Amino acid sequence: MRVEYINPFVESAYSVIREVLNVEVKRGELYLKSSSIPVLGVAAIVGLAGDVEGRVLFDMSRESALNVANDMLKSMDMDQIDSLNDMGRATITELANMITGQAVTKLHNLGFKFDLTPPAIFTGDNMEVSDPGVEALIVPMEIPQGKIEINVAIRERT
Amino acid sequence: MSSEDTTTRSYGRVHGAAIERTVASRDSGRGVEDHTETVDYKMVTFSLGGKDYGIDIMNVKEIAKFHTFTYVPNAPPFVRGVYNLRGDIISIIDLRLMFNLPAEQKDDDQPEDGLIIRMEDHMLGVIVDNVARVVGISRRAIQPPHPIFADINLKYISGVVEHENRLYIILDVERIFDRDGGVSQRPDSDHFERDTRRVGQFDEGFPAHAAEPDAVTQSRASGDERQIDFEFVRETLATFAGFYASEVNRQWLIRRFEDWRKERESANRDVQLASTEDAEMFLEPFYSPSTNAFWSEQYVRRFASILPAAEHPSAFTAWNIGCGKGFETYSLALTLRDALPETRLKIWANDNDLLSVSTAPNLVFSAGVVPESFKRYIVAGRNGYSFSQEIRDLIVFEYHDVTNPSAVPEMDLIVVRDVLSFMPVDDQQAVIERIGEKAKPGAIVVLGENEHMPVPEIWEPVEQAPNGVYRKVE
Repeated sequence: MRVEYINPFVESAYSVIREVLNVEVKRGELYLKSSSIPVLGVAAIVGLAGDVEGRVLFDMSRESALNVANDMLKSMDMDQIDSLNDMGRATITELANMITGQAVTKLHNLGFKFDLTPPAIFTGDNMEVSDPGVEALIVPMEIPQGKIEINVAIRERT
Repeated sequence: MSSEDTTTRSYGRVHGAAIERTVASRDSGRGVEDHTETVDYKMVTFSLGGKDYGIDIMNVKEIAKFHTFTYVPNAPPFVRGVYNLRGDIISIIDLRLMFNLPAEQKDDDQPEDGLIIRMEDHMLGVIVDNVARVVGISRRAIQPPHPIFADINLKYISGVVEHENRLYIILDVERIFDRDGGVSQRPDSDHFERDTRRVGQFDEGFPAHAAEPDAVTQSRASGDERQIDFEFVRETLATFAGFYASEVNRQWLIRRFEDWRKERESANRDVQLASTEDAEMFLEPFYSPSTNAFWSEQYVRRFASILPAAEHPSAFTAWNIGCGKGFETYSLALTLRDALPETRLKIWANDNDLLSVSTAPNLVFSAGVVPESFKRYIVAGRNGYSFSQEIRDLIVFEYHDVTNPSAVPEMDLIVVRDVLSFMPVDDQQAVIERIGEKAKPGAIVVLGENEHMPVPEIWEPVEQAPNGVYRKVE
């Protein structure tokens, strides 16, 4: 992945999570992966198009997703949820949208043109994601609510 | 990895009961006379609590440094944890704790010396004080253990042997780590099968290791000693420096080993590599000119001479694999710019070291390190000099692991100097294939000056070019 793209994604994820959830974020070592990757249980996906093609995936366990959603709802003075219902899914989707949106804005300021697709969310057990022909950058984030893995697989349009 | 058929009869294990006790070995198995014996048993030696021990090389998969391993609760005290060996989870056992020997406590961030032991159906790691070297001995010199070596339970010792005035206690790992806790009862034929598999791992086209058991047993000890040293150097280069012996660097390695042996012997030092420093010293002549620096004027001229001279193509693509901090990539960009002034250039550069490649797009340097001919492309900035936007726009730096699929287009030039040799052999193979796929017909590939393209069908060496420069056959 182009070096210039990495920081906007890492920084946006870091700052959005920290501001929205008001917690300390611990960032793990970044790494690359091309084989199929297990999905922890809840995966929000945002497509990218423009100078590049690919997608960003936000992956967390069902439990972490519930914790994150509840903390976000609480900060907006909304009712808590006890299972990942429509409201919970919409909340996680919104977090994914915020992070990707901020990253794309930063990239725009650097002169790269990206567009977003509407986010989608997948839930289920024993899921895997693979992107044949594209290498994924994994950004592991650890917060008190659990682990969030941000998986960015994009390639230059040639 | 396919030399399953290698015969290894001469390498059968030594069983406690089968040790030959000949008068000759008892009377003359000392010092100098040992050298005239045939070498038919090799062991990796190491120390535990200050004493010398050995393990049959057939049971040793590799020599390792264990960096971080995961503690396992409720395990016996000598199980230090589990370790991820390239995807395989293995247990790590501290032999010193297992045998109640004094063990030096290392800090958590200090790597532990050890061996990866291969047994019939599993592997495990053992921690020792330090690994010494590979020693070749004659099986006839091995004597049964005497009760005086009571540090370790006698049933775990397959024998003792003296070599160059040191007494080695040979451990029987099969018994020590037998899962049933008993003495192994397997028939001999099993052992032969296992040993064959073990040698199959050595291969990589380096002959003479075990291809001819008769030749090995008949060869004089000194020649065999050299072979043992060579094998050990190969293995330790991978451990200490991440340098993997293969067809790519074989010719250099054999040449270098001979020089190294002479150098070290005349300096009266051990031929085998004992540390990262030794490995670096060994590899020093390997690196191509201007590694980790801007290319010298001389190298630029040499490089320009291999480029297509007469016709100026309208577009030219280049791929720089293992670009590091970008010195090589910028040098390449400027060399191409000057050589092909009218051409639309595009260079893809990648490295899997995130820290290095992150600094590459905005590389800052002092003016003194740039060769004269590059000076017209540099601009002064606040922190030092950097290259003009015109040059930077030619290059796309990517954080990319070249063993993963890549979206780069087909290339006219691929520069991959001293990169392949630092990948595990399987990865080397995969990357060479990928280079073949991404190279246009007639494309030039530049390997390190001491590297060779192992698949000659589609590559031909470029005449009058430095070593390691190939053209894809059209």
